[in-house]
Amino acid sequence: MDNKVYTLGIDVGSSTIKLVLMEYSDNPIIIDKVNEKIRKRNPESISDLLLDAILLKNNLKYEDIAYVASTGEGELLKRKKGHFYSMTTHAKGGLFLNPGSKTVLDLGALFVRAINISDEGRVLDYKMTGQCASGSGQFVENISRYLGLAIEEVGDASLKSMSPELPSGICSVLAETDVINMVSRGISTPDIIKGIHLSIASKVIKLLSSLKADSKVALMGGMAMNKGMVQAIEELGTEAKLGLTFSTHPDAIYSGAIGAAIFGGFRYHKLNKK
Amino acid sequence: MESLNEIISKCEDLSFDLNFTRAKEWKSQDQSRVLVGYMPIYFPREIIHAANGLAIGIMGGGDKKLIVKGDAYYQSYICHMPRGIIELALDNHFEGFDGFIFPSICDVIRNLSGMFKLLNKGKFVKYLDYPQNFKSHIGGTFYIQEMEHVLAEVKKINNVEITPERLNHSISLFNKNRKLTEEIYSIRDAAPWKITAADVYHIVRAGLVIPVEEHNEILEKVISLLNQESGEPLDKIRVLVIGAFCEQPPVGLIRAIELAGCYIVEDDFLLGTRWIQGDIPTDSNDPFRALSHSYLNNSTFSSSVYDVDNPKEARLLKLASERKVDGIIFAAPSFCDPALLDHPILQQACIENNMRYISFLYSENTGQFKVIKEQVGTFSDSIKLWD
Repeated sequence: MDNKVYTLGIDVGSSTIKLVLMEYSDNPIIIDKVNEKIRKRNPESISDLLLDAILLKNNLKYEDIAYVASTGEGELLKRKKGHFYSMTTHAKGGLFLNPGSKTVLDLGALFVRAINISDEGRVLDYKMTGQCASGSGQFVENISRYLGLAIEEVGDASLKSMSPELPSGICSVLAETDVINMVSRGISTPDIIKGIHLSIASKVIKLLSSLKADSKVALMGGMAMNKGMVQAIEELGTEAKLGLTFSTHPDAIYSGAIGAAIFGGFRYHKLNKK
Repeated sequence: MESLNEIISKCEDLSFDLNFTRAKEWKSQDQSRVLVGYMPIYFPREIIHAANGLAIGIMGGGDKKLIVKGDAYYQSYICHMPRGIIELALDNHFEGFDGFIFPSICDVIRNLSGMFKLLNKGKFVKYLDYPQNFKSHIGGTFYIQEMEHVLAEVKKINNVEITPERLNHSISLFNKNRKLTEEIYSIRDAAPWKITAADVYHIVRAGLVIPVEEHNEILEKVISLLNQESGEPLDKIRVLVIGAFCEQPPVGLIRAIELAGCYIVEDDFLLGTRWIQGDIPTDSNDPFRALSHSYLNNSTFSSSVYDVDNPKEARLLKLASERKVDGIIFAAPSFCDPALLDHPILQQACIENNMRYISFLYSENTGQFKVIKEQVGTFSDSIKLWD
């Protein structure tokens, strides 16, 4: 099989929509990608706008796309051909961006998911955080807003920390109260941020440990773009002596959309064979 | 002419009208008309129709009725549907009903019939025993006597005498109803993207609470409109859902299964409407014998029916093969003994025949489908991508 076709993956996350245009073949390649925050707007309208924009930019028509695949919360998108579940797509996308990975860690806005995968990217086992928001990307975003930082500045700020201050609570409501106290006690912003990262990282390490994760671990999802978060996971991973190595990728936020686009191509050929 | 969406919306309103407004309105137009409620699964509605009556399918309160008193009548390890039905009875939703039929499908339904008797609901309450012996001269004769017993109760109310001609006419109307329903299922089998399973559910369920003549008109219109539809197929797997023959799944659950990457091309929702396979003869001098013969020989399979000579696992796999399904979803109500006792046998047959399946439990008032959607979605992905 080497019939190149264009496929599109749309990952409707809880805070961001990600679109990836791929050329699918034996060696799929990313042609273009785009993401946009939802900010309480209608996800279908945003994905429509992004879809039209990416097609226009690449001089393509909707009919040129062999398979439009949705993932995440995208089941209701009208312009899709099929939908794949997040676990399936993040596993495949994580492996695509970090070949050789045995575990994919999806650090999303709503929860964190650790997935053990096969050599082909098939889900073998998984564990995910519960409903508590204090282990999620949205929590980091909320804290950064309270501290007057843009989300892009959070990673660098965390790396400057000299004496991280851990929040005491395991619940985001209590942790947010902690942060207010820290600010009034004069704790520096980098130390507060690093403390938050370490708090989330401790949950992540517990998740990897209970899953019996294997190296290497691919860090995916929006939080994997945060250098401070990645460093905190690496530090606690070493401390816990799990023997895990971690890797990430500049396109980590797109792992779900990439997985959807790849599986879309696979399904296109499979359906055509039928 | 009404659009498909308008018809579906009307059917949805009828299906979940727990006051049975249309049926009561129908009865009020003629003093000799009677309303007879029946519980799942199957009841020969033809005999009530021939006696100038309307048999109303009572499927519980679903997720539309808050259970307050019903929980006092049943222990926590009993399924949900009877709580909803007793709640409806206590809140007088069945006001104007003349009688109630409780088909013998499980102990819970039998106990419910006793409660209706104690509460003096309707003018008669009949626990209808179905034959477990499938020989015509034994089980068939017994079944005819059971039907005659029901009609004797109706006759006490409206004094209507049934003639073979009247009953043959009623049978022909229900034959048509079953044929039209089957045609909608065939359309979904061939092109499931034309209409959702939830919409089909509403259309079929509406037929339980309105006269068959009106329902036949609705079905004909739906088929005509579906034949004009083309629609765009989505990349989904084809599944058969089994286990929901009595307590009905919430419509949200049916929608969740389809949203999670499946087309439901066969199911046992509202199974009584499709119970008899094929037509019942309409030219018989003894139409009771014809009804009885069809029940003994042309019934579909179900967990509540004795099946020693015709095992249901083989019938399930045959049905799955005819509908060309990719997998089977065992969806049973919590605490439904007949379904849950059968599932290990049916699932073993799936394993031996390389038929993929998943199973989960629901309750008629389940409101959260996220976990089920995740489970069904992963099932769908695994078949689409790795089989």
